[in-house]
Parts: sequence; C-alpha cells; structure tokens
Amino acid sequence: MRRSGERLVMAGLAGIVALVVAAAVLLFLNLPDAGRFDAEVTRIFIENDDLTDQGSIKLLEILAQSGTAFSETLASYRVVIFVLMVFAFALLIVALVFVVLLVGMSRRLQRIERAGIEVNSLLIAREENTVYLNDLGFKLTDAAMETMSVLAEARMDDDVLTGAQIEGVISGRSAEECEEAAGATRIKRLRDALGNQMISALLVKNIARRGYVLAVDKERVKVA
Amino acid sequence: MTRFALALALGMAMAGSAQAACYADYKAKQDNPLRLHYGVAEVSACSAGGAQSELAGRLAAAGWTLLQVVGVFGPEGLQERQDRAGPYFLRF
Repeated sequence: MRRSGERLVMAGLAGIVALVVAAAVLLFLNLPDAGRFDAEVTRIFIENDDLTDQGSIKLLEILAQSGTAFSETLASYRVVIFVLMVFAFALLIVALVFVVLLVGMSRRLQRIERAGIEVNSLLIAREENTVYLNDLGFKLTDAAMETMSVLAEARMDDDVLTGAQIEGVISGRSAEECEEAAGATRIKRLRDALGNQMISALLVKNIARRGYVLAVDKERVKVA
Repeated sequence: MTRFALALALGMAMAGSAQAACYADYKAKQDNPLRLHYGVAEVSACSAGGAQSELAGRLAAAGWTLLQVVGVFGPEGLQERQDRAGPYFLRF
C-alpha cells in the first residue's frame, strides 16, 4: 500500500516535470522569430509589382526592422513567461507533496486513534525508578524496573527472551538453571504495575480531593 | 564610297545587335537585416527562365538573393523603369 503510494507520487512528480518540459518546448517553438516577419515582408514585396519604387522599398525595409525589434521584445517575454511557468510548476509540485503528506498523516492519525496508544518514546530513568511512555511517567518497583531494563535491552538487540532467560539475566545465573515460571511471574508483576498505572492515567483519572472520572469525551460514551 | 557603305553596314549591324539586346527587371533581397531592391539588368538569354538562372548567379556573387524575375523586355522598356530601379538600374 505504502510502496505503491510512493510509486504513484513518483509517477505524479515525473508527470509534472514532463509537463514542464513539454510546455517549455511548445513555448519556445511556437513564438515567431525575426525571420517570420522578414519572410512576410518579402512575400508582400514579391506579390505586389507596384511596390517597386524606392520609397516603397524603404518602407518595406523599415517594416521588417520594426518586426525584428518586436520579435526581440517577444523573446524577452518568452523568458519571463518561462520563469513564471517554472514557478507555477514548482508550486504545483510542492502542493502535491503536501497533499500526499497530509493524506499519509491523516491515515496515521486514524491508525493511532484506533490503536488507542502508540508508543513513540520509551525512556527508562533508573535513578527515579520510572518508565516514561511518551509523556506519561510510571513509577515501578526495583524488581519491575529490572525486568523492564532487560526487556528494553533485548528489544534494542532485536532479541526475544523466554521467561527462563529473563530470570537468568536478572538473577545472574545461566538460563538452564532458571525456571520459566520465575520469569513469567516477573513479567506478570511488571504488567500489573504498568497496566494499573496506565489505565489510571489513560482511562480512570483520579482528581485530587474530588474523586474519580473517566477520561473519555462524553460524546464518545455509548451504553447499548 | 565603298568604305562608307561598309562602315554604314557595320554600324547597322551593331545597331541591330544592340536592338536584339535583352533586359530583365527583378526583385532581390538580403537577410539580417532585411534589405530589398528592384533592379534592371542586361541578360543574354531573352527568356524569363534563362534570365532567372543568369541573374541568380550574378546577384549571389554580390551577396543578394534573387526573389523573382518580373519580366524580360527590349531596350524600349528601359526608360520607364529607370526611375523605379534607381541605383540598381543596370548595376548587376
């Protein structure tokens, strides 16, 4: 989905660039040059036999010269038009990129809303015995803190630990000597401690000296 | 007397050849910047086609491009075209 979307964006950008090039070529090909005016004056000279006296010929030459001057003006216009066109297309490209970014962002936001909580940062502050998930701080016991640190280190190494391995790392023995159940218990305690606080922070808020309230918009609550 | 007659005959013959001379009026141009002229020139061939090729070569040597041969005529047509051809009257 994301890959094909990127390809689509690339194709769109390439299309816009192709449009710029095509428009530039058309612009530079279609504007008349000095030779066009001269050819027109020459045609008039050939077709009219009574334009052969000195005065008429002089006038025709002046006509051709003014045409040449006009075509020089046109050339400068052409440059101005081209610069404006490049600006316009640059803006078009930027607008397209922003639209794509916006679409991607809104999709991500929808996913986040559905997932409930997405962890953008996990900070383990050992001195405070606290784990910060995004901006929420959760206080943990020493034992739970150990478990959390082991899991975090394993995650950074892309490792998956069994209960016995967790217990082994924390107690300092080899994993074979440890029981799976001991590690599972540590995980359960960590989950309890974290889950309790997470739920209290996210869902059931405690307002000091007033009481408890659900941290949900009242429009979103439905009782079937 | 015979001498005089001979001279007369020679003179007549020369006049006859002058009578047979052909002229053409034409239009030519130079490019960048565009310059035009209308001129009259003597040509050896008394046809528009012959004058065309002859004049094209002669004008090209002087840097001009022949556009069109308007017509071929005898000496009797020179007078009326002298004014219009101006500096290009019998120049090439």
